[in-house]
Amino acid sequence: MLEQFHFILSKISSLQVSILFLLGLALLGGTIGGRLLERMRVPQVVGFIIVGMLIGKTGLKIVAGSTLQALEPLNYFALGLIGFTIGGELKKQVLTKYGRQFLSILLAEGLFAFLLAGTLIAIATKLLTGDTHLAWSLGLILGAIASATAPAATTDVLWQYKTRGPLTTTVLGIVALDDGLSLLLFAVASSIGLRLIGDTSTGAMVSFFDPVYEIGGSILIGALSGFVLSRYLRRCHEEERILASSIAAVLLVLGIALIFKVDVLMASMSLGVIITNHNPRKSKEIFRLFARFTPPIYVLFFVLFGAKLDLTHMTLPLLLLAAAYFVGRTAGKMLGARFGARLSGAPKGVQRYLPMCLFSQAGVAIGLSILAGQRFPSEVGNVIVVVISATTFVVQIIGPLSTKWAVIRSGEVGLNVTEDDLIRRTKVEEIMDRDVPLIGENVALSEVLTTLGESRNLYYPVVDGEGHLLGIITIDNLRDTFMAANLQSLLLAHDLMEPTTAVATPDMSISEARDLLETHGLEYLPVVSKKGKVSGLLELRRMKRYISRRVLELQKQAESLT
Amino acid sequence: MGLRGSTDSSLMCILQTRSKEQVLLELIELICRTGRVHSAEDLTQSIFYREKLMSTGIGLGIAVPHVRIEEISHPITAIGISHDGIPDYESIDDELVRIVIMIVAGKNQHKEYIRLLAEIVTRLKDDGVIERLCAARNPDEIHEILIGSSDA
Repeated sequence: MLEQFHFILSKISSLQVSILFLLGLALLGGTIGGRLLERMRVPQVVGFIIVGMLIGKTGLKIVAGSTLQALEPLNYFALGLIGFTIGGELKKQVLTKYGRQFLSILLAEGLFAFLLAGTLIAIATKLLTGDTHLAWSLGLILGAIASATAPAATTDVLWQYKTRGPLTTTVLGIVALDDGLSLLLFAVASSIGLRLIGDTSTGAMVSFFDPVYEIGGSILIGALSGFVLSRYLRRCHEEERILASSIAAVLLVLGIALIFKVDVLMASMSLGVIITNHNPRKSKEIFRLFARFTPPIYVLFFVLFGAKLDLTHMTLPLLLLAAAYFVGRTAGKMLGARFGARLSGAPKGVQRYLPMCLFSQAGVAIGLSILAGQRFPSEVGNVIVVVISATTFVVQIIGPLSTKWAVIRSGEVGLNVTEDDLIRRTKVEEIMDRDVPLIGENVALSEVLTTLGESRNLYYPVVDGEGHLLGIITIDNLRDTFMAANLQSLLLAHDLMEPTTAVATPDMSISEARDLLETHGLEYLPVVSKKGKVSGLLELRRMKRYISRRVLELQKQAESLT
Repeated sequence: MGLRGSTDSSLMCILQTRSKEQVLLELIELICRTGRVHSAEDLTQSIFYREKLMSTGIGLGIAVPHVRIEEISHPITAIGISHDGIPDYESIDDELVRIVIMIVAGKNQHKEYIRLLAEIVTRLKDDGVIERLCAARNPDEIHEILIGSSDA
């Protein structure tokens, strides 16, 4: 017994097994955590991250650092998918309509966050250490990192609550573009910062061209791949091939971006932008397919993200610095977003609620902090890494909550609903026709015809004395009797009805009902309660009309917000 | 198809009994002898259930019990003549029923079924057909009157 236990333990400690275990654990735990928090009305992404922290470096340390290291490619994959999907939202119409607005908001929120966070950090450092050079260089670096806004957690909230409208579009646009801005700021800031603390080994010129190379390179890689994929997709028609080749494209773009050391997020985003604009019809299909298989990858991504967050090196001075960073960045984002939105004449809803949507910080910020940690002497580098880790933890919890609050207040929640969502969510009883005339089986043809004259239905359920369904009379059935006027007294509803091949129940979803209709080749389904009594009728044509009308209504509602 | 295709003289008889129940059973038996009905019990039940909903005695001495059942591939018509009349058939005009025409069709043969019913009712409305049927003495005569000579 004990031996077997040891045997299993020894197996678990091998990397492959532990990775599989970890993936399973992370997915299961994340899903449960997300669900629990969702019940508490907190966006699921917060739950994923907390579960990650519980099992990760800050918490129980179930996950070895080497395992997290080994799973790094998965994080890139998730980031690539997120970038690709966000890129897909940046259609030509959106960019021409919102381009100016995006740019002024982006510059304002990025620069304000940079200035405020940087100043506060500088002041706090000066007060804590008295070292002016250190104060300015830390202020510059952390300020530059503060300008970044992470797309992942924010978009997860938007997707979870199915939002649509000007606020949603603006948030997506901003989080998509501000990577570029923060890379630029960081490059400038770090080269100046390094000089300030007396390190002149890296030339300013090299440093300045780094971000230009990084941004330009990522866009080039993404865009070129986008054209190739778009070309190739013209010849793909089966879902499987479209899905497989799109995933392949994302993976290849990520790989190439990593080889050339350019920004993976921007590369995959460029891929998405090109696809959505170059091949709009196919891309709609791609993003629909992606939406189905990406959720577990995102769960893993956020859980692993939480697991990597290391808050164990916290000290009081560092906590103060983190607080200064948090306050400065938050205030800067809010003021900047507000200012930029007003300046560009953005819709009222955007002006009012966008400031609450830009708090999230993750991959890029952490990546830059680690980069800074490598470039700067270790005492400075460590400060940067710890401050960013700690504040990332806080904003990743506050960010989704405030984004949720904002999108709810803006009235954009639930407007981004596809036909599929509606079909799955709507129950038969919500759209069935309740006022169907029921016909007793012993009713004579003449009376059936009278009932028919008085209503506009095409189908009439035939019931026994207790209201139980026996069959259906359709207009088609009755057409046959027109040539038999002399049978009026001979034919009853019982003789005219067709047997029912399938029935729906009131609490069935429309998607189930639609499957029934399809398999039986029917135009209608009688709806029968648990006791076998007829409670209504579901007609295919009415169902279709309802769904397309509802989708249109939601679309109009979203448009009316602009 | 139609009436001619759904019957022949083996499905016709001079009724031996006088009660509605017995008469219906006689005709059911004729139909079952064709071997095309799988369950005589089901057929019997369906026929009697339908009569309970409303009598198929449509007046002028005619009754047309009819039913659709699952396994039939095309309609079967059986015809019985009662010389004494069936007093308990509950015809709508309270007359004695003398001609009983039983139609059994498949569940999905809605159109054929209605057509057959219509054809029979129309045929019976022809001058003198009812009187001649009531006077018929054997299956061949019934066949002759309703459809024409067997070899036609």
